[in-house]
Amino acid sequence: MSLLEARNLSKRFGGLAAVSSLSLSVETCEIVGLIGPNGAGKTTCFNLLSGFLSPTSGSVVFAGEDITGRRPHEIVARGLVRTFQHTTLFQELSVLENVLLGLHLRSRTGLRQLLFSRRVFPSEEIALSREVLEFTGLAADADQLARNLPHGHQRVLSIAMALAARPRLLLLDEPVTGMNLEESARVMSLVKTIRDRGTTILLVEHNMKAVMGTCERIIVLNFGQKLAEGPPAAVSTNAEVIRAYLGEGVEHA
Amino acid sequence: MRRNIVIPLGLGVGVLLVVFLPLIGGDYYVYLFALVFTNIILASSLRPSLMCGQLNIGHSGFMSIGAYTSALLAKNLGMPFEISLLCGALLAAVVGLAIGYPALRLRGVYFAMVTVAFVEVIRLIAQIWVPLTHGMSGLSGIPKPNLLGMTLVTKTSQYYLVLFLMLVILTVLWKLESSRLGLIWKSIGMADNLAQSLGVDIAKHKLLAFALGCFFAGMAGAFYAHFIRFLFPPEFGFLMATNILVYNFVGGRGHFVGPIVGAIFLSLLSEPFRGSPYETIFFSIAMLSTILFLPGGLITLPARLGGLRWQRTASAPTSSPVA
Repeated sequence: MSLLEARNLSKRFGGLAAVSSLSLSVETCEIVGLIGPNGAGKTTCFNLLSGFLSPTSGSVVFAGEDITGRRPHEIVARGLVRTFQHTTLFQELSVLENVLLGLHLRSRTGLRQLLFSRRVFPSEEIALSREVLEFTGLAADADQLARNLPHGHQRVLSIAMALAARPRLLLLDEPVTGMNLEESARVMSLVKTIRDRGTTILLVEHNMKAVMGTCERIIVLNFGQKLAEGPPAAVSTNAEVIRAYLGEGVEHA
Repeated sequence: MRRNIVIPLGLGVGVLLVVFLPLIGGDYYVYLFALVFTNIILASSLRPSLMCGQLNIGHSGFMSIGAYTSALLAKNLGMPFEISLLCGALLAAVVGLAIGYPALRLRGVYFAMVTVAFVEVIRLIAQIWVPLTHGMSGLSGIPKPNLLGMTLVTKTSQYYLVLFLMLVILTVLWKLESSRLGLIWKSIGMADNLAQSLGVDIAKHKLLAFALGCFFAGMAGAFYAHFIRFLFPPEFGFLMATNILVYNFVGGRGHFVGPIVGAIFLSLLSEPFRGSPYETIFFSIAMLSTILFLPGGLITLPARLGGLRWQRTASAPTSSPVA
């Protein structure tokens, strides 16, 4: 059984079909890439899977349970965690606090503790957060304000926050956007390490080098529909895919 | 938060001064500062829901519920003050939950509009329900507050009562704000979708923060009723609701002491105009000048003044690491 299965997912905004009868599945411990030209419906697809939008029709099944129409926090509680393309951090909070918020669902802070405990956060939560920061290589920045981090570290922090929520499936929306070669290589190797630790990954990314080098399977979207699917080598030589990205060479020549 | 060690210290000295005020000042100051403390409770109790990004312009409505409930229970049923105070606060919180549950699905200005409508509805109910509230003749003959069966006859004893009430409420609010709960409120205010993506039930937390504020506003109202001993519906109208909001903005929304500073500063400065049309003008000017000259509120003033000297050296742009 697949970990995640989308069946005939459609989302219409008025007359525009952002996603139309899209079916896809992700197996446990895979790294799957979701690519496509701008406006192909990748982010809409992420929003549908994570409950931020409810589909016009179709359903999402995660770990054998139908999660269609569930609210985002309920889906996170089941182990499907996403990151965002734009709002990725709580800018005015420290790096550590950002990760502590990622621990939200695991925290068992009761009212008595809220009112009478001297310590703001239990030491095991701090330890867990530091562990996540250590793992993602941000330990040295723990007390900085998130907005003071360099761009590359900010993107990594957003992954660290998602990791703190202990996902079974992690949806990454453009994790290496705006990074240089070295940075994006480092993030991609982090992504592989996360997978090796048992978290399945579905990612949207425009950086083809990163996608081709990391993903085991790629799904190509265009105009909200699945255009192609397969291993990187097959997809990158697929004529349909090349046409979608580069346009009809003959007509524009 | 590290930079603000000075502020709690200053606050400590202020509290000491305030404890001995009845010895140094006259009856008028006792009366004035009891009202200032009431305003501090009102302003600070609005903060949790402001932190969640909810613009509540109806806080005085909840104060009104607390005031009338406690006053009527004590006057008509002879209930002791401790219990009527709690009943007033609880009813305000329950109404807060009932209003908040549907309204908190709205964002920004739409939510604000619901709270404005609410405060007017509460005022009209108090005005029209004459058999119970005496409407526009006002509710008089409210008993003085009592504690453990002893009536607090003097204004000075009532002053200490509200001082104690305020310190307890501020401690509770401070504990909550500096806990995980406060972090969640901040996160919802900064980016609610991101908070959701980490598993925060934002609807529940917004509602709880809102109801918590209503509870304490009801408590402030209950004290007010037994202190002034006369309730008049239009007092708790839209104007007072905006004033409570203005305390928060003028004081500053970035820190817990913001609404406290704002409430003290504005209550004292507006005292000469209280009840006159100039009061509105005064609050408008205070709000506008804050927006124009000090967007972070009064609490950022020391840093701003200190910053002027440093500006030249510190304004070098931090270069982003692009390789």
